[in-house]
Amino acid sequence: MADSVVMGSGSLNSGSRSGSSKTSTSPTENYQLARRRTLQVVVSSLLTECGFESAEKVAVETLTEMMQSYITEVGRCAKATCEHTARSTPTLSDVVVTLVEMGFNVDTLPVYAKRSQRMVITAPPVTNAPVIPKALMAGQKRTHPTYIPSHFPEFPDPHTYIKTPTFREPVSEYQVVREKAASQRRDVERALTRFMAKTGETQSLFKDDISAFPLISSKPSAIPYLSTLLPSELELQSLEETDSSEQDDQTDSENNPSNIIQDDQSADKENIVLPPGGVVPTGKANEENMIDNPYLRPVKKPKVRRKK
Amino acid sequence: MNLNRIKLNSKQCRIYRVRVNDLEAPFIYNDPTLEVCHHESKQRNLNYFSSAYTAAVSAVDPDAGNGELSIKVPSELWKQGDEMKVMKVYIEFSLDQPKGGLHFVVPDVEGSMAERAAHVFSFGNQNSTRFWFPCVDSYSELCTWKLEFTVDASMVAVSCGDLVETVYTHDMRKKTFHYMLPIPTAAPNISLAVGPFEILVDPYMHEVTHFCLPQLLPLLKHTMSYLHEIFEFYEEILTCRYPYSCFKTVFVDEAYVQVSSYASMSIFSTNLLHSGMIIDQTPVTRHCLAQALAQQFFGCFISRMSWADEWVLKGISGYIYGLYLKKTFGVNEYRHWIKEELDTIVDYELKIGGVLLHPTFSGGKEKDNPTPHLHFSIRHPHTLSWEYYKMFQCKAHLVMRLIENRISMEFMLQVFNKLLSLASTASSQKYQSHMWSQMLVSTSGFLKSISNVSGKDIGPLIKQWVDQSGVVKFFGSFAFNRKRNVLELEIRQDYTSSGTQKYVGPIKVTVQELDGSFNHTLQIEENSLKHDIPCHSKSRRNKKKKIPLMNGEEVDMDLSAMDADSPLLWIRIDPDMSILRKVEFEQADFMWQYQLRFERDVVAQEEAISALEIFPTPASRLALTDILEQDQCFYKVRMQACFCLAKIANSMMSTWTGPPAMKSLFTRMFCCKSCPNIVKTNNFINFQSYFLQKTMPVAMALLRDVQNLCPKEVLNFMLDLIKYNDNRKNKFSDNYYRAELIDALTNSLTPAISINNEVRTVDNLNTDVRLILEEITRFLNMEKLLPSYRNTITVSCLRAIRMLQKNGHIPSDPSLFKSYAQYGHFVDVRIAALEAVIDYTRVDRSSSELQWLLELVHNDPVHYIRHEILSMLAKNPPFTKAADSLLCNEALVDQLWKLMNSGRMHTFNFSPRKFLWCLYGLNPSIYQSYLGQKPKQSPCLERAFCEYHVVMEPALIGVAMAPLGLKRKAETPLSSSPEPGQVMQEEPSAKASVKSKVSNLL
Repeated sequence: MADSVVMGSGSLNSGSRSGSSKTSTSPTENYQLARRRTLQVVVSSLLTECGFESAEKVAVETLTEMMQSYITEVGRCAKATCEHTARSTPTLSDVVVTLVEMGFNVDTLPVYAKRSQRMVITAPPVTNAPVIPKALMAGQKRTHPTYIPSHFPEFPDPHTYIKTPTFREPVSEYQVVREKAASQRRDVERALTRFMAKTGETQSLFKDDISAFPLISSKPSAIPYLSTLLPSELELQSLEETDSSEQDDQTDSENNPSNIIQDDQSADKENIVLPPGGVVPTGKANEENMIDNPYLRPVKKPKVRRKK
Repeated sequence: MNLNRIKLNSKQCRIYRVRVNDLEAPFIYNDPTLEVCHHESKQRNLNYFSSAYTAAVSAVDPDAGNGELSIKVPSELWKQGDEMKVMKVYIEFSLDQPKGGLHFVVPDVEGSMAERAAHVFSFGNQNSTRFWFPCVDSYSELCTWKLEFTVDASMVAVSCGDLVETVYTHDMRKKTFHYMLPIPTAAPNISLAVGPFEILVDPYMHEVTHFCLPQLLPLLKHTMSYLHEIFEFYEEILTCRYPYSCFKTVFVDEAYVQVSSYASMSIFSTNLLHSGMIIDQTPVTRHCLAQALAQQFFGCFISRMSWADEWVLKGISGYIYGLYLKKTFGVNEYRHWIKEELDTIVDYELKIGGVLLHPTFSGGKEKDNPTPHLHFSIRHPHTLSWEYYKMFQCKAHLVMRLIENRISMEFMLQVFNKLLSLASTASSQKYQSHMWSQMLVSTSGFLKSISNVSGKDIGPLIKQWVDQSGVVKFFGSFAFNRKRNVLELEIRQDYTSSGTQKYVGPIKVTVQELDGSFNHTLQIEENSLKHDIPCHSKSRRNKKKKIPLMNGEEVDMDLSAMDADSPLLWIRIDPDMSILRKVEFEQADFMWQYQLRFERDVVAQEEAISALEIFPTPASRLALTDILEQDQCFYKVRMQACFCLAKIANSMMSTWTGPPAMKSLFTRMFCCKSCPNIVKTNNFINFQSYFLQKTMPVAMALLRDVQNLCPKEVLNFMLDLIKYNDNRKNKFSDNYYRAELIDALTNSLTPAISINNEVRTVDNLNTDVRLILEEITRFLNMEKLLPSYRNTITVSCLRAIRMLQKNGHIPSDPSLFKSYAQYGHFVDVRIAALEAVIDYTRVDRSSSELQWLLELVHNDPVHYIRHEILSMLAKNPPFTKAADSLLCNEALVDQLWKLMNSGRMHTFNFSPRKFLWCLYGLNPSIYQSYLGQKPKQSPCLERAFCEYHVVMEPALIGVAMAPLGLKRKAETPLSSSPEPGQVMQEEPSAKASVKSKVSNLL
């Protein structure tokens, strides 16, 4: 019997030794192994108590497993019973009910506990409770508000509910802003012109290195005065923007200018497509309709009598 | 008197038949200007050419009753002529590919003629109407007109007079515009413009109609929004309504001149149009409109008796235009303009020779040439140099101003009113053509009405400035006699050198003393040079007292700079510019500085600034800086001060302390308070500071350090200005500002240090130059994507690149400029590119480029460009008399001689022997008027045309009659057959029935 104990403790020792060797690797695993060793010791002592002198390892393992299952089941059921009655901590009665439920005669328990040949088992070696690996902490964990009892589950990890705005506070220093705007515009312009120069025909100032300062080649246009006299769309747009910002505080600045420009263009087109008679469109203000200008008069039909 | 021949003017027209009163009449057509010198091998010099040319022009001068077309009146009608009955002359003619007179613009794009914005307009210098229809091409032959133009239905024909009706032709594909001009008008004042114009009726004056090319209507609206103010101004000062019942403005492309005025219409260059965002173009365009309108009254409505009376018309229209300037742009602007004009005419006359306003030709012999110093004859408007005519106009209005000074403005306006009211009374006399002579102004008539109205004798003034050429050149100096308290003023004259004349008469001298400003009138006499002027104040500078100025203002002055013994602050000779003169006056530098700071007249300030250039002292610097900072000061004075300050800074290089000139000033005015290296975002709402902001960097870039380089600090400053330029919040365009920044970069360039003429490559590029080149490249490329108004930036970039080449930073190469000089680029760009090519031709002595330029002179579609090439060549000649050049060879002489001899070319003096040495050196301006008169040799002008009928109504009949002849198309195709679908169809048959000659000759 003692042998088995020795054996058991030896195995325990070796187990703990091997466990200690593993400790360095995984504290959680180590903790579970230690508990299992304790259970094995208990099973071994019970077997000794029952009169076995030795036991096969497989049998001990099986018994240990059964015991562990049993205890686990008792705990689980006790917890369920207690929660069923709206409590969070199981009481003795919960355990009793559980044991009864499981078909155990509770009355025999005190007698069994007080039996004489009972072996005292040394307390399992203290092992550190496994440290739960720290989750990446994001933000401050919130505590329960006062109206929620403290026994209620805690808030989940903050990363599941907190929000972090992705934009940064804009830099408001004037010089930096101007600097940035200037270099940004320059970069855009340079990239754009480089691109245009690369994709189209170029002229060069240097004979040796044609790519050094590429100039987009000049192309004569059929009606050169149009592009040079009419303001570009960009200019019109910026003009509209400044105008609208003067009038109101840019309530809808993104939509307004484009609309206005479109209106403008359509108005222009109306004028461009003059009727062949050279008559100003009649959709104009009424005042203009009353103007007696010879160029606005309709073109007369030829007289019939003059035949060729 | 027998009327057996009728002579008319006609050029380049093909005349098919002439009928007089339904009878066929034989005719002879001879244009002597087609080949000016017949035996060109014999004699080839400019004087010979000039006289031959004058003779040729005289031979067809309508004022002398001559003409290219001589019609023999059938003998059956001779009797009728004797009985002073009316004869009708019908001429059937066609015009094939006109080289002048009419200009076709037909853009080479897809679509119909209207979609392509194809248009045609008449143009020409002086009386050139003969280029597009036979007429009596004289300003003194008035008649009423009926004009008919048949054009494609998509086109509008704009011409002189009232549009009576517009009628479709039978096939409905064309329409005919019927115009009626009841006011007697000379043929040279008739014009025509046809195109798919957009029509804008002036919102303030419904009888005024504006026309522009498609898509430009928004610009037209903006540009024309203030025309009514000009109208109101002229009508008010002349107390006379606009004489015609309607007015039309037409804006056309490829215009030869910016403005040309015709009876009841004006033709402008389309490049005058601008949007509300453009600052710089606005005053220019307003000036042009005001000029055009002034010429409507004097020039179109009132015509001239003879060429010698031209100065009266140009003078009056220029003068009332000046009044408009004064009213609209202010007295400062007006005085600045007068000074500018005076300086221009004085410089021209001193350099080239006198400008004679009223030439009188006695005997008609060439020997009596009143202007032997000129290489052209001033006998005819067509023989003049272009430049000379500009100066002539300039002098004319200055002389008008002198007359105003003499007789007061009130009388002046009364005289104008009298001329106008007489003319408008005469114009309504339909049946009395002898009355119409009231519509012609002559020098004597003008002078007579001045003496009638004012009662003053302005004879000496006229004799001095009108009948005589030349300006006065004064040299002045002074000394202060302390004992007598007298200012001893010495005024000398140079009247021996060319372009000068002697002045005898009063001259005003203003002396600013401690006690105030005093005017003195001195008499310039034959032998008196010295004048004693008593001073009013003793020198008593210790007493603190404010000093009264001319305008009554009293100011505190720091008198520590002045001479302790003298009470004189400054002296001005002829402050009111009442003599056409140049004054070189000597006074101490501190006097100029006082004059600059405290004299309120802009002319005095400008004189002081130019005088201070030779006094590079800290005191001058301070005076100029103060002026720059003073925002009450006229902006053009401040702009001038910038350049003077730059010059002074360069002269004071070694002793200059502090940051580069103007830098801190610019920083204070235009940069941010918190970060002084960054310029504020653009806000051009204050135009004065806008102009200053534009000018200062350009002037600063002229600064040089001890190594004669632009200081690094200045260059970086300018690069920063470009970098931080931000126009997003500006309601005005910054294209002119950016262009000036590029000009500033150009100004900062200095010659590269080169070792044995090594080839310029990218690797050995100077770092500063690399930065500059990068900016220029970027600007030029951006311009392709976002073109600026009038391509100002491209123009500046081209100049900068040429400067880089010239200074040896990058290889010299004309091919870039040649590509920008092609037809199809904006005209300003072409001119800038051509200027670079011409400069290249001179520097590199390239005969192939010269050949290329001359080729362009022959062939370019735009007359203005052709004229301008020659004009620029004359200014920057490829070789001079002094320098031996390979370019100077026989072939070139031949080529040029042919060019001027071959047709309507004018005013050259070549001397063949000298020419081998110096074509241009002999006379730098020989080229200038060359195309000025009548451009020729247009390449293939579009075969599109419109049909027109012109009826000059005879004075005696009065009632207009449409030509009775049947419309007849040219029987022979004059060019290849018209393509189907061509909109403006070639139909060069036109008929004119000309009858006015009858009354003229009787």
